[in-house]
Amino acid sequence: MKLGKVIGVVWATKKVPQIHGCRLYVVQPILENGQDSGQPLVVADPKNIAAPGDRIVFVTNTDAAQAFDTGFAPVNASVVELVDDIA
Amino acid sequence: MFLARVKKKVVATEKHPAYHGKRLFVVKPVYPDGREKGTDNEWIAVDYVGAGIGDIVVCGGAPGVAKEVFDLELAPIRTLIMAIVDHVDYRDI
Repeated sequence: MKLGKVIGVVWATKKVPQIHGCRLYVVQPILENGQDSGQPLVVADPKNIAAPGDRIVFVTNTDAAQAFDTGFAPVNASVVELVDDIA
Repeated sequence: MFLARVKKKVVATEKHPAYHGKRLFVVKPVYPDGREKGTDNEWIAVDYVGAGIGDIVVCGGAPGVAKEVFDLELAPIRTLIMAIVDHVDYRDI
């Protein structure tokens, strides 16, 4: 799991059924001091936790599919937390 | 699994249900003698053993492990803090 900043929204009408109605964000992975760390990626937000410009925690790999209620989706990155503060 | 130092605590109110009641920490991988490995390498880990800021911990995870550890229906959790290190015997054994 990593910290990220939502820097964009992906709008797509044609999608696989499992991610219908699920928001897709472009996220820049960051460090706790805000510095960029790695390349931007597309992260799914099944629970509508994030909004553009927010700092989030996202999970990658196979566990990302479990962020969906069905427990399965063809995704490998999902938003799991909206960060209020890092102290 | 890797050795890491707990740097900071992540505070969040809006979160995925599986994360309710769980504490998240920012951890930085370290060498066995405690030196940090480079600057731009950080992970977020869910605390399971009551770690505190500054502790050296063992972090890691595998697919589906969190589901058993926290016995949740669905667990989008990967990196887990699974042990607080007291001491590492390193290169003198």
